[in-house]
Formats: sequence, C-alpha cells, structure tokens
Amino acid sequence: MDIENTVLDILTDLTGNDDLKDTMDLDLFETGILDSMATVQMLLELQGQLDIEVPVSEFERTEWATPNKIIAKVKELQ
Amino acid sequence: MMRAHIIERIDTIAINQPQTVAYQYGAEQHTYADLKTASDRIAHFIQAQALPAGAPVIVFGGQQFEMVATFLGAVKAGHAYIPVEQHSDAERIQQIESVAQPAAVLSWVPEAQLTVKGPVYSATTLAETIATGATDYDQSQQVSGDANFYIIFTSGTTGLPKGVQISENNLLSFVQWANPTFGVADNSRVLIQAPYSFDLSVMDLYPGLCSGATLVILEKEVTNNFKQLFEVLPTLKVNEWVSTPSFVEICLLAPTFDSQHYPELTQFVFCGEELTHQTALKLLERFPETKIFNTYGPTEATVAMTSIEITADLLAQYDRLPIGYTKSDTKTLVVDEQNQVVAADQPGELLISGPSVSKGYLNNSDKTTAAFFEKDGQRFYHSGDLVTQDQSGLIFYKGRTDFQVKMHGYRIELEEIDHHLGQLPQVKQACTVPRYNKAHQVTQLIAYVVPNADQTGDATLTKTLKAALAENTMDYMIPQRFVYQTQLPLSVNGKVDRKALITEVNGNA
Repeated sequence: MDIENTVLDILTDLTGNDDLKDTMDLDLFETGILDSMATVQMLLELQGQLDIEVPVSEFERTEWATPNKIIAKVKELQ
Repeated sequence: MMRAHIIERIDTIAINQPQTVAYQYGAEQHTYADLKTASDRIAHFIQAQALPAGAPVIVFGGQQFEMVATFLGAVKAGHAYIPVEQHSDAERIQQIESVAQPAAVLSWVPEAQLTVKGPVYSATTLAETIATGATDYDQSQQVSGDANFYIIFTSGTTGLPKGVQISENNLLSFVQWANPTFGVADNSRVLIQAPYSFDLSVMDLYPGLCSGATLVILEKEVTNNFKQLFEVLPTLKVNEWVSTPSFVEICLLAPTFDSQHYPELTQFVFCGEELTHQTALKLLERFPETKIFNTYGPTEATVAMTSIEITADLLAQYDRLPIGYTKSDTKTLVVDEQNQVVAADQPGELLISGPSVSKGYLNNSDKTTAAFFEKDGQRFYHSGDLVTQDQSGLIFYKGRTDFQVKMHGYRIELEEIDHHLGQLPQVKQACTVPRYNKAHQVTQLIAYVVPNADQTGDATLTKTLKAALAENTMDYMIPQRFVYQTQLPLSVNGKVDRKALITEVNGNA
C-alpha cells in the first residue's frame, strides 16, 4: 500500500473520522481530533508500519498538523 | 510522629526556611515565605466576605502558583476547596455548583464568563489581595480533623458529577504514609504534571509542601507540544517524578529519556491507571538506578493506599504487575457479591477501610449509601475494582466490577456517556464500549448508536454528535469512533448487552 493510504488508514483508525481524505488540510490539533495520546499512538503506528524513525524531540506540532503535512513528513523521513 | 496539622506543617517550613523555593512554574519561582503570605492574604480576604460557615468554595484556574495559594487560603479561612480546571465546560461548572452549593467561586481565569448563582471573585480582585492584602485571619476557623479539606468531583452515572469529600484527617493519613514511603526530602524537586482537578496532583502536592520540597510544574501547554516538552523536561531537574503511566510512555519515545540525560531523577511514582510490564521494563532499562513505585487508590480513599517498588526481580516474576501492599493504617478485604471474604488468589471486589477513606459524596446520600457501608463494625468503601490478593497480602488489579474504565488516567463511566448520547435528539439508543490494546489499556472509546429514523448514520452525524457531546461533557469522555446500527444486541434480561459489544470490539482476549 502507498504512503498516502497507509497514513490515512492509521489516522482513520485513531480518530474514527472516516472522511479525512476529503479534508486533507484540516488542522487535526486545533480541531481536537488528535490529542497528545493519540499523537503518540500515531507516531508508533507510523514507525511500525512504514519503518521510519520519528525523532519525537523534534516533533513540532505545526509541521504535523494536517493529513497532507503528515504525509509530506513521512515521505521526508523515509 | 506528632500529628501536626497540614497547614501548620507548611507554615512551619515558611518560618524556618523562608527562602526555600516552594513552587516553580515556567520562569516564575515562589518561596515558602511567598506561599505563606499569599495564602494568609487570601484567608483574610475570604473571612472578610463573611461567607456561610463551612460551605466549600470553587477554585477555578490552571496550574499557576496562585491556585495553590488559594487552596491553602480557603482552608485557613475555614472552607474546603473544590478545584475546577480552567478548560472545564460551562455545563460541568454549573453541575458542580448545583451539587456543591458553594459559598463562592474564586476564579484565576482572566475574563472568565461564569454563570453561577453565588459570588465570583475575579482574578483581578484576587491578584490585588495577594499583592497588598492584610495577612491576619482568625486561625480558629481553620479546617481541621473531620472537616472537609478538599472536594474532588468525578463523573457520576446519572450525568451528575459526584463530589468526593476529603477531610484533613483523610489527607493526613495519606501524607504520613507517602512521605516515608516515597522519601520526598527537604529541598528535593518533585514534578506536578496532573491538573489540580485530578487527585493525582495531590500525590506530591501535600507530601511535597509538608516536607519543604520544591514543586516543579509541567504546564499542560508544554506537555501537549512534544518538541517543547523535550526542550523543557531536562531543564526541570526533577528528583521525584509523579505521573500517569501514559505520560511517561510519551517521554519514553525520546531516546534521550534516560539516566544519562536525567541524572537527578531518583524515583518514579505512578498512579491513576495500570502500569504495564512493558513500560516498567523499558524504564528500568533506561534508568537502572532509579526506583519505580507502582501505586493504586481510588479518589475516595485519598489518592493512593497501596504501593510496591517495581524491581527487576518483580518484573521477572509477574507478567501483569501487582498494585502493591495496603498501607499500614488501612484494611483491605477481597469479597464476593455477598461481601464474604474470598480465599487467597481468588478474584473479588476490593473493599477499603481506614483513616483515609472519605466520609462520602457531598450532598448525595443515595450514592454515599450505595458505595460506603458497615461490615463487622467497620466502615468500608466499595472500590468496584476486581482484584486478587495472594497469601502475603500482595494485590493484583484485574478490572472493574462495573462499567467504569480508565483512559489516559481519566475515570470514565461508560453509562454516563450513554446517558448523554441518549439525550440527543438524533439518537434513539447508544452503548459505549472501550477498545483495549495488548497491555489491557483503554486506547479508544467506541459508541454504538442506533440513530432515530430520520437520521443517516454517516460521518456528518458523527460530527454533529461529537459537537453536541462537547457542550456538556469533558473532552476525554467523547468517543473517538461512532458505529451506527439498526439495533443493539440485548442480554437475557433485556438490557443492552455491553459485554457482547466489548467482545465484538476486542475479541475474546
């Protein structure tokens, strides 16, 4: 599966929001869709499923705020 | 040990070592002398308002120094305090007010729009008081003995929150146990991460202040932004760490969270939810010299009343970690449904009796009678927790006897969420279930909803329901997922079969 779909699947599973693919620029933190514990789970899933290392100490929320940004970040880290 | 009052112990430190730092909040520091002056001024101010004697006051705000000064000021003036977190929604504040009938609200939230019946003293008024007020007050009014010291509100199944009344005697029992057990020393730096409305914060608030420690606050805004969190965390130089296991799991994501980067850390104390084997093992690998304590206790028994040090030997011995041994002034029993004691290693409900057990729920005799009862001349609290206890007295947590779950340290009554969902015009019926991970932790709440006939169960409805719930419940009580069905499974007695749904979500594990 490609990165876009894997990221969307992880996000859908975590947030229960099935229509994230229609709101790729929605701010997940500001809207309260992702809280800090869900963010941790997202990072663990991304690391596990896509074999990337996310340096959490450099995790700047604004760089990971929307589905599009998350996908771009994952591609950058691969 | 002499049973000095909590207030006297803190004020004695202010007199003997006034310049010791009591509170560090961001770049701000406040000494024990500052704390005494500020709380004396608040006490003077409250007494000058001639509020009804003995009635509690709501203290509304965040994690700033002034909150703690106001807690102590209220107690000095003779009123129990009810800590309410600044992000609480208006509905919850009104519910708490309607149950507690407080004498006043002391608000540290600037511009707070509070629609309550009683007087509200604003942040501006209170700040002026702390800056320039008079410090004399009538000490004979001070809260002591069996009088309420604080009241913490938890959720209630009928939708109305329950106020757990903690007296000075309850708190003293906890403090006198916590201090030698976890060894909070004079001048040691202890972490406060939990909001004051959550009794985990009491874990180091009073043991710390009663022993001359420095309370080091990790602000919620910092916790939420990982980059900032890992910049700030090493600078705090804490010696004693108190948090939920969930929070330390976030920290463990950073490879630099280890004894090399945090050489001052001498102990971790966990409470509020289950400490998993995996987390404890990882911590011990990263911090081989640091002590790890697992503790347990319902708010109704004052923060915690069992503890055990988690060692490498213990990890090798048990797959699911014990919650510890009961503190010496407290008696625990493991009983069956008829309240008869079960044999060692047999599962049963944990009953708790002792000086730290609450007198009950504020202005709620029905719930108090349901949860507190007498057995063989002793007063016990029904914890609702399913445990086993071995021959040596070591207790293991197994789950709940009812439908209460803990997620990220928050106590959530599933029936309360159902109740709120059921009130919404779009919903015919609802049943909320937890989803567990392999380590038995709740990671998600899933609401099974039967929509009313004119509704379509789709993403738009999910959005509408989430927004509607947000108006009268706490954030952590809003289910992450909504599943729409035309009917819910029923058990033999005709009730919604929550257990069947739990099995559907989690399998038979």
